Amino acid sequence: MNNSCSRCKAIVKNQAKFCTNCGNSLKKTNLETRTSSLNIIIVFYAVFLLFAVVSYFLYSEYPTNINIEIAIESVFALLVVGFSLVDFKGILKLYKLPIIDWKILIFTVAFPVFSAFTVYFTVEHANSFLFGSVDESYYGGYVYLEHPLFWAILFTAIMPPIFEELAFRGFLFNQLQKVASENVTIIATAFIFALVHFSFISLIWILPFGLILGYIRSKYNTLWYGIVIHFIHNFIVIMIDYYIYNTYFLEL
Amino acid sequence: MENEISIETKEPTCSICKTAMDTEEIYCSECGFPEKGTDKEVAQFHARRAMENNQHMDADKKIKSARNVLYVMAGITLVFGIISFFNNQDIAVLVTNVILGVIYLALGSWTSQKPLVAILLGLLLYLTTVIISAILLPETLIKGIIFKIIIIAYLGKGVYSASSIKK
Repeated sequence: MNNSCSRCKAIVKNQAKFCTNCGNSLKKTNLETRTSSLNIIIVFYAVFLLFAVVSYFLYSEYPTNINIEIAIESVFALLVVGFSLVDFKGILKLYKLPIIDWKILIFTVAFPVFSAFTVYFTVEHANSFLFGSVDESYYGGYVYLEHPLFWAILFTAIMPPIFEELAFRGFLFNQLQKVASENVTIIATAFIFALVHFSFISLIWILPFGLILGYIRSKYNTLWYGIVIHFIHNFIVIMIDYYIYNTYFLEL
Repeated sequence: MENEISIETKEPTCSICKTAMDTEEIYCSECGFPEKGTDKEVAQFHARRAMENNQHMDADKKIKSARNVLYVMAGITLVFGIISFFNNQDIAVLVTNVILGVIYLALGSWTSQKPLVAILLGLLLYLTTVIISAILLPETLIKGIIFKIIIIAYLGKGVYSASSIKK
């Protein structure tokens, strides 16, 4: 397949670095694409850092206000969708239903079951031991509401898998692919995904979790497996939390 | 046999990079040398090459500076964590700083293979650390602001330099 020179419109070979008719450098276009992708990645991250700071202060100021929670989650969803519109075609391809393969299907169910129990009973406790965090219960944060389990599932198990997968394995993955190789993109998205969770000790488990989600997204070219894995993981964590809260906390 | 030799010697190649060229091609598709160009075009090619070499060397210097910044950050973070632990017996600060220090060290070392992504991740990690510190202790945002700007500038320059030479 041949391309044409942007300056003189002469037909040039696909691998050509210079136009053989006018000497125009064809690499410039690649450099511009890379710079543009880098700018987008940095802006994307800066926006989410700012969003995280604002959310932190709002949560601190209004810890039991469902309207604030809904507003924060809606802004996050809008930001993710807004950025995704920059690469609408590239993102849309990732929502095609994948060909069902029993191996990945078993993995999609088994892995998050394992990761949820491991993380809940080891890393979360290490976090609690090291940092003395008192608000370790995800479910407990919603008990001031009428249907706490519904809100906990909505804001922990449903919303994050949909929008975090779109943000990190969708938008960010596509942008990083333009400046790095496939393997480096998987590592970089996993690292950034771990960073935005704002807990350096959690890097220990979020990084490998992100690596696996990135690998699956890369191999199957779909976001669906990642969304399901992320959902099952978060859902199990919420259900363990619900069970422990109702069994132990209420007895005390 | 004589005919074959004469055909081989007539096949045009670029005088600079020896890439095979078609007879109707004016410029080399690999290095852009104006094989059939005017003297002025040849002179412009050599001038442009010299300039690109300088830019490449400049980019390498900026990548090296960014790598050094990552190593310095690793050192500072580790030393601060250890000192803080001995002064306040705070295991959380020690564990956090050891994790951060190791990451900076790993990213610094990775810059020799993948400078673009390694420096980019270093920059994002640094920004996140500054923001988390500012949330926990707002006064840290202003503390050492010049030092912070210098680190961000070095890492930022490193990212775009690595991008320009596509390492």
